[in-house]
Amino acid sequence: MEKLISKLTEKHFLFTASFVIRLALVAYGDYQDRTMAVKYTDIDYHVFTDAARFITEGESPYNRSTYRYTPLLAWLLTPNIYLNMVFGKILFIVCDVLSGLLIYKVLCLRGLRAETARCVSSLWLLNPLPMGVSSRGNAESILAALVLGTLLCMERRAQRLTWAALLYGLSVHMKIYPVTYALPIALTLRTAEIRVDEAKKVSRFKKLVGFFVGFFNQDLLLFASVAGGVFFTLTALFYYMYGWQFLYETYLYHLTRRDIRHNFSPYFYMLYLTAESTWSHRLGLAAFLPQFALLLVTSWMYYKDLAFCCFLHTAIFVTFNKVCTSQYFLWYLCLLPLVIPNLSLTVKQGLGLLLLWFAGQAIWLGPAYFLEFEGYNTFLWIWLAGLLFQVVNCFILIQIVTHYKPTKTPLRLKAE
Amino acid sequence: HSLKNKCTLFKFKKLLPDQCNLLICADEIQNHCDLLRQWLAPSSVRVELNKKGFHREVTTTVEFRSKELSSVKVLLIHRWPRDVYVDPYQLASLSDQNNWKILLDSAIDLEVPAHKASGFVTYVYPFSTGPTSKLFKVTIPIHGRYHKPSFDGKMLKSVDIEVPELLLRSEKCAQLSSLEPHTVVDAPCTASNSSTCSWVKVKPQQDLNPVSFQLPVGDGSLVAHVCGGTLLVTMICCVALSKYMWKHQVI
Repeated sequence: MEKLISKLTEKHFLFTASFVIRLALVAYGDYQDRTMAVKYTDIDYHVFTDAARFITEGESPYNRSTYRYTPLLAWLLTPNIYLNMVFGKILFIVCDVLSGLLIYKVLCLRGLRAETARCVSSLWLLNPLPMGVSSRGNAESILAALVLGTLLCMERRAQRLTWAALLYGLSVHMKIYPVTYALPIALTLRTAEIRVDEAKKVSRFKKLVGFFVGFFNQDLLLFASVAGGVFFTLTALFYYMYGWQFLYETYLYHLTRRDIRHNFSPYFYMLYLTAESTWSHRLGLAAFLPQFALLLVTSWMYYKDLAFCCFLHTAIFVTFNKVCTSQYFLWYLCLLPLVIPNLSLTVKQGLGLLLLWFAGQAIWLGPAYFLEFEGYNTFLWIWLAGLLFQVVNCFILIQIVTHYKPTKTPLRLKAE
Repeated sequence: HSLKNKCTLFKFKKLLPDQCNLLICADEIQNHCDLLRQWLAPSSVRVELNKKGFHREVTTTVEFRSKELSSVKVLLIHRWPRDVYVDPYQLASLSDQNNWKILLDSAIDLEVPAHKASGFVTYVYPFSTGPTSKLFKVTIPIHGRYHKPSFDGKMLKSVDIEVPELLLRSEKCAQLSSLEPHTVVDAPCTASNSSTCSWVKVKPQQDLNPVSFQLPVGDGSLVAHVCGGTLLVTMICCVALSKYMWKHQVI
């Protein structure tokens, strides 16, 4: 068994095999689209392609309704129109395999042996979920690669800080949620307080001042200016090209999104029932506060282990968000392999948690199917299943947090 | 037969419809208008609803009495309520499999709830499947919108789909006034909407009731329980998670 695992995870074999399997899925998807009524390709892929077509005709990609992404994505996919419609899918699976490679590199930098690192990376590379998502034409893998690239460069921030800032700025431009990493990154890059033996002698005021002054160091200012520069340049460029609609569809829509249609979020039914009432805004704020508070707490507690902190950030963001669809899960699943080597859970416990997670989704999908495709009024069941799913997610996160053992990497040991 | 006396010829054709083709008519237009008149003879329009839930299919079947098809164009006008919508992108992807073309009268917002949406009109141009077929079948996929929650305990909301209007025109018959008492209506000539033509509206055989189906709606009377329950569970999860993170923080 061990020989089989080591053979399967041999470097060249692993990456080649994972790419070939994804390619085969893309080919199969093309076949299914042409021959069967139920299509393999996701509707989002058609949205991207239509938007790219508008760009090739010199128009705004936002002429395609429900296109709610950066114009950069439509620009990237213009070869869909000029060359072949499968180009986008190839790009996504390449980014997917690249994400696997970045996971491997980060794990090596965090002190794992190469074979163990490859074994853990195979949890992403040979995982049917990201395979399916990328081959169906969802663009999540581009963002996964950007976030993992940022984390990799941050692990080697002595040499690669500018690159980290560049990739971070680009990832925030593509999707808003990485903006939550700004606080842990800032906490990592600032000059930490100098520990004094007799802490009592230093006044509280001085400590507070020292804390804030620590944020104004060279590294953090460089990071902020490069990341901010990339983000604002791209925003200004696309605002100049496409106007207010770009700002609204790419950012404001997601920030103010109140999808009253059924989704995994525990807030869905509450927001649906109060959509027209005067309480709507106050309840929206009430839903935002726990999310915000938890993100602050997570940043402060875990910034020293940036990969784990980012994983918790995204998992909490998605679990406590007002809208949650299965696409969002990939945002933190791509960071899970970075966390797994440090977990003291047994394989049995890990698989148990995974099954629990899937069971939570299945319990939601049941009444949701009956609502949408059979016409039964299962709103109350969907609401309860949403609450249950949130409890399951929190339970899993608590298990991860209580069984996490941070490692001391060579880089950190040098600094200390 | 005197070819100059068109009126006489016309009366002859009315009495002997099957021998129409045997008569040599100088006035081609009159011939085509007669053809059109035959088509206006009572024909049946049937509407069926298929599938369940929020995604349905509305199948309109039109059956004509007359057999001669070639130059007559058919148009079905559906007037949809605000409770449903069609997905123009879905229709575009189905267009190569269908034997009909569709035109929408306005842009459709796919996500807005029913009380913020408005009704719309579709123009469907079916083309015949064969030279002797007198049956047209058009299946349009529609999707239900979310409705405002109900406060009177009703779990379902009724949606009515009216029977479409059936319109005809012949390219070679311009004298539509001769086809009175049928009403003449202006509508786009084809699905490409490049021009407007005059169409003749076919009177339905009998007054047909609209087809209806039901969509689930949220229960507004539970709003306090739902809000309270949601915020309670979320708060408990938030506090629990914070507590464990505090206990196991990475120093």
